Amino acid sequence: MREKINEEVSVVMYYSSQKRLALPHLISWQNKDYAVGRIGYHHTVKVGATLHHIFELVDKEDILWFRLNFNTDNLHWTLEAVSDGLAT
Amino acid sequence: MDLQLNDNQPLTMHIDLNSCFAMIEQQANPLIRYKPVVVAAYDTPKGAVLASSYEAKHLGIKLMLNVREARLLCPEVIVMTPDPDKYFDAYQRFKKVLLNYTNEVTPKSIDEFIVDFKGSRAVQTGLSLSKVSYQIKQDIKESLGEYVTVNVGISTNRFLAKLASGLNKPDGLDIITAKNLREIYEQLELEDLPGINTRYRARLNMAGICTPLQFLDAPVWKLKKEVFHGIVGFYWFMRLRGYEIDSVKFGRKSFGQQYALGNKTTDLEELSRLLMKLCEKTGRRLRSNNYTAWGIHLSLSFENQMYWTKGEKTSSAIYSTQDIYLQSQKLLYQAVISAKVTNIAVTVFNLRPTDPKQLGLFDNTNLDTRSLAEAADTINDHYGEFTLVPARMANMKDVILKRVAFGNVSEL
Repeated sequence: MREKINEEVSVVMYYSSQKRLALPHLISWQNKDYAVGRIGYHHTVKVGATLHHIFELVDKEDILWFRLNFNTDNLHWTLEAVSDGLAT
Repeated sequence: MDLQLNDNQPLTMHIDLNSCFAMIEQQANPLIRYKPVVVAAYDTPKGAVLASSYEAKHLGIKLMLNVREARLLCPEVIVMTPDPDKYFDAYQRFKKVLLNYTNEVTPKSIDEFIVDFKGSRAVQTGLSLSKVSYQIKQDIKESLGEYVTVNVGISTNRFLAKLASGLNKPDGLDIITAKNLREIYEQLELEDLPGINTRYRARLNMAGICTPLQFLDAPVWKLKKEVFHGIVGFYWFMRLRGYEIDSVKFGRKSFGQQYALGNKTTDLEELSRLLMKLCEKTGRRLRSNNYTAWGIHLSLSFENQMYWTKGEKTSSAIYSTQDIYLQSQKLLYQAVISAKVTNIAVTVFNLRPTDPKQLGLFDNTNLDTRSLAEAADTINDHYGEFTLVPARMANMKDVILKRVAFGNVSEL
């Protein structure tokens, strides 16, 4: 089931100069660390003049899906939603 | 009139994303892949299904069912609400892939394009169009994601290319030429042809045309006089034979917004507030496209399946949100509200470009609504949509959500 969260979370991000890629690597949410597995989709949204990067991804165990929002204005991460991939 | 089938090299491609919104959601969330998924306008029981994944389609969940009906067919169906920004992003990536092959790329909707390969580099280098298609399919996977597939159809005109793209869904690639055209028509029903709906089929049946092959073999006079009663019959005669008659570009005629009310009401005050938000959205689009309008149209649909609609030309230019609101408000107060309103729509028409800007008598005075509208737009561009709104729209931020216009992609 998909659940709206909208909480600020801690995120470790890495940048590979070889691949020229910047991606979230680890998410800390509710005292638990989730290693990032597959990235499903990454896109950007402009809210007024502020650019937000939206990452939709699953953890390494393929158990939870996360929707993360990175605000490029204040460099804060928000966990917008999580899902276990089930209907209810 | 006797006309051979068009035996030119097929260089027109129709390409569309399979189950677009649902597939993009499945790409974004690997945990819902290979499962029945629908994207619905709302996730409440009456929310209309806008897209369903192939898994959902196999269970009979089609477009325009509501969420309750979808859940009756499959209790495990995963219901998502639309994420327009993500779909716009996918549309842009899709388009970018195609533009790598040729500049002749025409969007038909948010998930389908027509690509004209006449004179394209890819074909001039000697590559066959089917090889180019496989490359495009691969590029789309690299750009949008490994789960995303497209249907490709190739032929000598748009109609046959679209027909070809639908022959082997999902992830199809088919080519229709003069050589296999009759064979393909032979396997299809009339309503399998793009543009032939139940009413057209009934008309064709009345004239003794019951199959696509009979349609193809029908003389042009019969199509013009007995079936379509006009030039449309000639267009079908050409279309069915692979000649291009659909590459017409239509200019912008109007801007409009509509809203299906979650809480149906007869309250004029509430309707006015919704109307203001629709006017603001319409005004933003009108101004950002540099038009003024000289006509307005308002329509209301009611719970008892009735509707009310009225439009009128205006004697002065409509430009600011206030202009649109005042005109549409006048129409609203003329409406006969016979039952609860379920849908409200406002449209401005008779468009004229704003450039060169005509100097107004009230420029730079407190009656200068044009400059005020432009200043408000600048603030909203910087701080986000609906940061600065008319007082009537206070506390309405999440009412009337951003939606995806299926057919019109000119503003994406």
